[in-house]
Amino acid sequence: MAERPEDLNLPNAVITRIIKEALPDGVNISKEARSAISRAASVFVLYATSCANNFAMKGKRKTLNAGDVLSAMEEMEFQRFVTPLKESLEVYRREQKGKKEARKDKDKKADSEEQDKSREEENDDDDERMDEEEQNDEEEVDN
Amino acid sequence: MGSSKKGPAGAGGSREAAGPGPSSAVPRPLRPPAPRRRGPGRGMAAAAGAVPVAVPVPVAVSGADAAGPGEEAAGSVCPGPARVARLPLARVKALVKADPDVSLASHEAVFVLARATELFVETIAKDAYVYAQQGKRKTLQRKDLDNAIEAIDEFAFLEGTLD
Repeated sequence: MAERPEDLNLPNAVITRIIKEALPDGVNISKEARSAISRAASVFVLYATSCANNFAMKGKRKTLNAGDVLSAMEEMEFQRFVTPLKESLEVYRREQKGKKEARKDKDKKADSEEQDKSREEENDDDDERMDEEEQNDEEEVDN
Repeated sequence: MGSSKKGPAGAGGSREAAGPGPSSAVPRPLRPPAPRRRGPGRGMAAAAGAVPVAVPVPVAVSGADAAGPGEEAAGSVCPGPARVARLPLARVKALVKADPDVSLASHEAVFVLARATELFVETIAKDAYVYAQQGKRKTLQRKDLDNAIEAIDEFAFLEGTLD
């Protein structure tokens, strides 16, 4: 387990990928630079959390919400992140909603499958898709 | 005398005949292999053994070929650019929890934090790259990062933290 918060690193592979996508083709990154960026990312999360928490406390809330994080970005002088973050949040919310509805549909289909044998092929495809949806909802309470 | 010589088994041996049934099986439509996600945090000690929240959208999007070690990224709903690389929410949450003043964070808050961190990584990489270009290098080095941190106000919070 990590001894200090800064030691909780984010996965190297993902960090590397983000860096490579941000830079033009053919550009490389040294190991030291990559690990420094990874560390910087962890520090960023810690700092942003702390900022966001201040906003939550101001609002007399104990749970950080998305708005607190957005306010933190502005506070940290990363205003240019706010708009893309809001967009991503919208997409995320729609995805979450879609997941819930897909679950409901799955239950419905389980019933209708027994009745509808002629549509076997279609259902097979759906089942395959359903298998992929390994949900693992976080335990935190949504606000 | 009793040397039991077995004839060359390879020649003409039809290993295909599994059963006595007719050899011509009805050709089944081949299904593309379902992109199985690798286990959580390959080789990385994920905090509390949490599973990275992958985006479980049914359609397998090109570019997420389930190769690449430790890549958590999966297909996204809209196959748009730069939406695929996703930091695992579980790891981000672990960092959030490391703050003793924080009691709880909503799902969405963790998501926005993760996304913000991705943007941050992009930003700092690009800013550091400017210095590499000045040095006529195509490899980003640690000193480029240090230069960027020193020069850019928004990165001031990083000073002294990377050593």
